[in-house]
Amino acid sequence: MTITLSTTTRGAAVLAMAALLVTGCNRGADNGKKTIALVPKAMDSEFWLAVRKGAQKAVEGRDDVTLSVLAPDREINVDQQVSILEDQIQRGARALVVAPAGSAQVVPVLQNAIGRGIPVVLVDADAPLPGKSSYAGTDNRAGGSLAAKHVIERVGTGKIALISGVPGNQSQDDRAAGFLETIKTAPGLQVAAQQPANSERSLGLTVMENILTAHPDIKAVFATNDQMALGAVEAIQSRKPQAGIIVVGFDATGEAVQAIIDGRMSASVAQRPFEMGRRSVEAALALIDGRTVEPRIDTGTELVTAANAASYKK
Amino acid sequence: MTTKEQPAAVLWQRMGPLLGLATLIIGLSFASPYFLTVENLLNVLRQSSINAILALGQLMVIITAGIDLSIGSVLGVTNVMLAILLVSGWHPLAACAAALGTGLGIGLLNGVLLTRLRLPHPFISTLGTMNVGRGAALLLAGGVPISGLSMGFRSATGGNAFGAPMPVVIAAVAYLAAHLFLTRTIWGRDLYAIGGNREAARLAGIPVERRLNLAYALSGFAGALGAIVLAGRMNSGFPLAGSGAELDAIAAAIIGGASFFGGVGTVGGTLIGALIIGFLRNGLNLLDVSAYWQMVVIGCVIVGAVFVDVLRQRGTRTV
Repeated sequence: MTITLSTTTRGAAVLAMAALLVTGCNRGADNGKKTIALVPKAMDSEFWLAVRKGAQKAVEGRDDVTLSVLAPDREINVDQQVSILEDQIQRGARALVVAPAGSAQVVPVLQNAIGRGIPVVLVDADAPLPGKSSYAGTDNRAGGSLAAKHVIERVGTGKIALISGVPGNQSQDDRAAGFLETIKTAPGLQVAAQQPANSERSLGLTVMENILTAHPDIKAVFATNDQMALGAVEAIQSRKPQAGIIVVGFDATGEAVQAIIDGRMSASVAQRPFEMGRRSVEAALALIDGRTVEPRIDTGTELVTAANAASYKK
Repeated sequence: MTTKEQPAAVLWQRMGPLLGLATLIIGLSFASPYFLTVENLLNVLRQSSINAILALGQLMVIITAGIDLSIGSVLGVTNVMLAILLVSGWHPLAACAAALGTGLGIGLLNGVLLTRLRLPHPFISTLGTMNVGRGAALLLAGGVPISGLSMGFRSATGGNAFGAPMPVVIAAVAYLAAHLFLTRTIWGRDLYAIGGNREAARLAGIPVERRLNLAYALSGFAGALGAIVLAGRMNSGFPLAGSGAELDAIAAAIIGGASFFGGVGTVGGTLIGALIIGFLRNGLNLLDVSAYWQMVVIGCVIVGAVFVDVLRQRGTRTV
């Protein structure tokens, strides 16, 4: 008896899911509107939420256009991003605005899109993609260099550390490269440790703890995003709150700006994610309308320190 | 339970997941105008192929009441290895053979850790190799993706060859082979016997340890086969490939009716499980459902299916 009941339940459970799916989420038809698909690396931080806000701003008042925003669960799920892109092409998206989670891996599917006449605008992270219409993003190298100048100015001599993002991620790698390039011009500074923390706060914390153990005399750390920088701040606060270690992050998220105001962080390189979303989707709109766009849209960077942090507070 | 009811029960057990899949497909056909097209269906098959292949490996060990947490890492390390060999000029067949051999080897190691070192549960041994494998992938690759594979290799494994989507063809061949292995060979049947009652299997003269080694080796092999398809699909080997893939593979096998308690599970059911996950993700993308909700829905389906497995097990124990 029990067997009959339970196996029926199995079928019923799956059925119920399917029913929920169909009745609850029935908004697939686009009513003849043109779809612009925005595919970020993930949707798990203020940064991506700001990109989405900017993108929504760009399509405001365009009743003939639908903005569809879909992202993988986590930035490392590159294959999921490829699937999303395939699905967006399938549903007839008229333009793709993409932040590639892995520059090499998403190129084939984007080439496929371009081959079908769907224009591709890259946002936040560039990739070697022949035929892309534009790239809207920060000059990450310049941003990394900006962080290095701040460290040189504040520290002068001694050991410093670098915490980088998911290896192979172009924008994170560029920030690290720009930082190292400029640090080299200061003979007194020595990069004692260089570790990836996959853009995650919890890993930033662990990596920083390890760095503090291996190099107790570290004077400054640059993390290629604020999530990792804030993780590093936690490690420093619990292990060496009095050492005056300088932490520089990247992105100037709300939390990082607050940490700068509180004196726990020294600086953060501000990108302008809202502008990225707005300008990349504006470019996509222009392409749909048959206008041309600039191949490179620089959305700018600025260093946020205690001096100007208040103006960045949201 | 009466003997009269049993065939119906077995039928339900087989039909439950299939019915779920059918309902999903019918529902999605009405919900999205883009869903029921040949191209989209091929897309889903392509997108599901890697998970489906990994799920086959997972099925082999789940039948023995085991688990293989390392399969995603095996995929990662063999994916990187394959890309390195291809870029350094190896013949694609030789490179694929090396990757498959490595996968088989890591799987065998999982088996040996369990049967010879007598680690108490495969959760532990494969958790170990999962970390070792991921570290090895990062070390081999130096932390960065290795791209630039030849067009020939890409179309033969990840693209279209002879007008057919190769990931789907490779998965289909693997499914046919696994089905024949589990139902038509003595080794395959032994796996069910071991999962059903290990001690009874031993007393019946089944070489339990050797069969377990075989099951884990096959799971590693499946990881490497997934890596070959992934390399072709993504034009690269990347060290974080397959992070978390073991979980989707386990989910596919379980949704498809395999039991964590061992002794139960079919190749056909596993295929349906992998397709349910694939169609769910595809459908949710087409319907513009955000990643947040996708995780909730897929999580509910997994928990629902495993809960039913628990109910059934409780049922058979009380009978």
